[in-house]
Amino acid sequence: MALNIDSLTASQIASGIAAGDFTATEVAHASLDAIEARDGAVKAFLQVSPELALDAAAHIDAARAAGEALPPLAGVPLAIKDNMNLVGTRTTCASRMLENYESVYTATCVERMLQAGCLPMGKANMDEFAFGSSTESSAFHRTNNPWDTERVPGGSSGGSAAAVAAGEVALSLGSDTGGSIRQPASLCGVVGLKPTYGAVSRYGVVAFGSSLDQVGPFGRTVEDVALAMNALVGAGHDPYDCTSQDCPVDFLEHLEDSIEGKRVGIIPSFMEAEGLTLEVKQAVERAAHELEAQGAKLVEVDLPHLDAAIAAYYVIGPAEAFSNLARFDGIRYGYQEEGCANLTDQSSLSRAHGFGAEAKRRQMLGAYLLSSGVYDKYYYAAQKARTLITQDYNRAYEQVDTILMPASPRTAFKFGEISDPTQMYLSDLYTISINICGNGGISVPLGLGGDTHLPVSAQLVGPAFKDRQLLTFARALERGIAGGMSVAPDFAGKGGEL
Amino acid sequence: MKELSEVLQDWEAVIGLEIHTELTALDTKMFCNCKLSHDDEPNANVCPVCLGLPGALPVPNKKAIESIVKAGLATNCEIQKHSMFYRKHYFYPDMAKNFQTTQGPVAFAMYGHLDLDVTGQGAAERPDCAFGAAEAESLASASANAEGLSTFMTSQMREGNQRAGHLASYDASNMQMPERRADGCYTVPIRILRIHMEEDAAKMVHVGGAEGRITAAAESLVDYNRCGTPLIELVTEPDLRTPEEARLFMEKLRRIFVTLGISDCSMEKGSMRCDGNVSLRRRGETKLGTKTELKNLNSFKSLHDGLAYEICRQAEVLEEGGIIYQETRHWEPSRKRTVVMRVKETADDYRLFPDPDLAPFDLNDAFIENCREQIPELPDAKRARFEADFGIKAADAEQIAGDPAYADFFEKAAAGTSGKEAQTVANLLVNELVGYLKSAGTALDESGIAPVQVAALAKLLASDAISSNQAHEVFELMAQTGDDPNKIVDERGMRQVSDTGALQPIVDEVLANCADQAQQYRDGNQKVLGFLVGQCMKASRGKGNPKLFNELLRASLS
Repeated sequence: MALNIDSLTASQIASGIAAGDFTATEVAHASLDAIEARDGAVKAFLQVSPELALDAAAHIDAARAAGEALPPLAGVPLAIKDNMNLVGTRTTCASRMLENYESVYTATCVERMLQAGCLPMGKANMDEFAFGSSTESSAFHRTNNPWDTERVPGGSSGGSAAAVAAGEVALSLGSDTGGSIRQPASLCGVVGLKPTYGAVSRYGVVAFGSSLDQVGPFGRTVEDVALAMNALVGAGHDPYDCTSQDCPVDFLEHLEDSIEGKRVGIIPSFMEAEGLTLEVKQAVERAAHELEAQGAKLVEVDLPHLDAAIAAYYVIGPAEAFSNLARFDGIRYGYQEEGCANLTDQSSLSRAHGFGAEAKRRQMLGAYLLSSGVYDKYYYAAQKARTLITQDYNRAYEQVDTILMPASPRTAFKFGEISDPTQMYLSDLYTISINICGNGGISVPLGLGGDTHLPVSAQLVGPAFKDRQLLTFARALERGIAGGMSVAPDFAGKGGEL
Repeated sequence: MKELSEVLQDWEAVIGLEIHTELTALDTKMFCNCKLSHDDEPNANVCPVCLGLPGALPVPNKKAIESIVKAGLATNCEIQKHSMFYRKHYFYPDMAKNFQTTQGPVAFAMYGHLDLDVTGQGAAERPDCAFGAAEAESLASASANAEGLSTFMTSQMREGNQRAGHLASYDASNMQMPERRADGCYTVPIRILRIHMEEDAAKMVHVGGAEGRITAAAESLVDYNRCGTPLIELVTEPDLRTPEEARLFMEKLRRIFVTLGISDCSMEKGSMRCDGNVSLRRRGETKLGTKTELKNLNSFKSLHDGLAYEICRQAEVLEEGGIIYQETRHWEPSRKRTVVMRVKETADDYRLFPDPDLAPFDLNDAFIENCREQIPELPDAKRARFEADFGIKAADAEQIAGDPAYADFFEKAAAGTSGKEAQTVANLLVNELVGYLKSAGTALDESGIAPVQVAALAKLLASDAISSNQAHEVFELMAQTGDDPNKIVDERGMRQVSDTGALQPIVDEVLANCADQAQQYRDGNQKVLGFLVGQCMKASRGKGNPKLFNELLRASLS
């Protein structure tokens, strides 16, 4: 029986190539075939880059033929969120504004994945400039959840999550500003890690909220995510990002460690929050029992300022977005309105017609929040809240090693189901505070929910730069409950034969 | 319009300066590794960072931070260990990100001062009524006027300004007020509110319009080579009272920055630029008048003349019952007037907030001390030393000490000398060398003139071996040929004769030939002596010592 690419983990692909079971070029073709067969229904990709993928594969095959040692992710198909620069592709941020913008340099995170041997299969769909939780704000098309194509994949890294869940690629990169990796990972039933702020370089990733953005990997297993983390942080501090830090750890090293004696925090108010569905709540409780069964101790923790997280986020995020997106003025590159009489009209109309509704909403909000007289009232207050929330978490981590909570309050919702932006913002209820304090968080799939029969998950969050420990807890859950999540059944095995 | 001197009798001019200096001595830009050079082909020195391309991030240039710390230390500022970069938003095609990265309420250097020696004729610009106790009141009421910094007026800014009040040395009531000395000169302290770090914008070139201005231009081209150039902006308190003080402050600051080696400080090339804020109030009034901001003050003369014109213009408007609008005005040196550039009806809202891509700074003592150790002897100290050690005139000492190249040259040429010979070296530098380099259009270090040559020439001159007229000739020859002055003098037989035994026969001969003139002198016409000295010089073919001829003639005729 033929082997399908989607049945292999990233580490199995790399070791298979190293062993000579198949070539990187065969893997590239298998991934391209899977994309061809599945992406018409999933629409995870904005661009597929066969030349780049096959070229990278040829290099790996040549290296192997020459007897060279292969890098750890040699030949692993990778999808890249379309806010990350890669020379040879357009980087559109799913916006009309950058529809034809061709990258002139490659983002450090992408470069490092390619250095580790990944094959760049293409650029994944997203909410426009990462503003959203459903990928519905993409200017080009929606992405369908592989588990139910009538439903959203989550967002903003919806394409990256869906490509992995549909088995088109083994790994993908996303970015997480308020939950944009963890929430779509939850909705698509894959593993998604937002590392601690500063762990992964942001150089070359089109900024949304500079103090909140962090790049991280999606994979179908915790081990694959660990491998990707090694690639992303292994080379250490990026001289092109002065907020990036050295994290000299091997993420595989303690993956199989026992969690016996570890303390797992539970925030009682989070488990009773409005909007949390019963099936998600039950899944998280099941995870708690599993961790307890493996010898961990459950501890209730109190984070009194957590209520302020969403409000603080919707001040800091839009303020930074307003600033970061100011450069898109239709002068040097990007969408340019034609036939304008003067510079002001050209810039105003290019922005009016180049940006979608949510991008305009956030920028206008940010422009207001930073204006004189208003700044003190909101921005300054939000920064104070940020400090208080960070202190809350730091205090909690004196008592516990990790905190267990939902990643998303519910399973995947239908397209158009949430039309009120403020309701959409609540999708990130459980993820936002982690970006506020800059710590790491991971969404771990826990099978299907009892009511909707769609993927449910739990989120584990931890102290700054203790992301490796998060992977150990995630692996414990994976071992005990999910056993490594499978590809969405409607797509498994379709195209992609090796 | 009235003359400045008349206006300043009735009106007090309150002047503050904002001085931008490009750190041209650095190799790379402020936030990227692009080469710092404006002379290359347009847009040759650019990268994703300075072009503001999507995804690019800034990384601060450590050497630029060292430069601003040195600038702060050299101007008696407090170095602020904790400061941040901020983003200042406005839209213009020369700014790739549509925000400028600059500093917020806290700058790297704050609360400094320079003591300004106001000498020469310009000292008369400050009227006698503006000294002593009257000036103390004026300063107290004008200071802490943060109008020019309205862009920073967040609550943090106000906290920052309040901090100024806690600094005793920065409090107007503790400052030494200027007193006019017998020679008309005075010394006045000028406070420096802050020196902050920022990045320069790109350069716009307007093609096809008149005078290269944007109005009516067919095309506007942008050269991003300049974009991201490290720039330091110094903001003074409104402590200056005359255009001459403003000019002298700028000169003094330029000498300090040049000595620090942080910039070439060329006003002509625009690497040092100055905006002047000026308002008038009646003498004795405590409330400040409405200020205007002057641009295009791109030479020391423009700085003086532009401010002088604007003061007179404001006085005329006010005396005719008119109103001064808060506006930016452009100095037109060719027409000697200022014209309105733009009217500020409301304060611009730059939406300043801390740059989230750049972590707050936490400068440690070792870093600051390292910067302090790199500071060479500053012009004031050097001037004092030149006066004390070499005994040269104050004005010459100031001029020479203000330029590191000249100062170094002087120290080598005057080594081991003092008094007359050292002053002769100074004279040769100030008169001959400066003039020669200017006419030759070359720089000191490229001229090939060595200190040892000037030292030898000074020795010849100081020992009366040659006359000052001959010295000029020898200097030119020396500069052109690179020869030793002694060789030039010997080869051309220029050595001056100071032997009375050799000169007396010439005097006797001249007196014999010019009996009429000799008689006129004896009859009381002193002027004719010059003619007789000239005849002696002619007879000696220029080699006789004119002073000795003078003495010998007087003796012979008495």
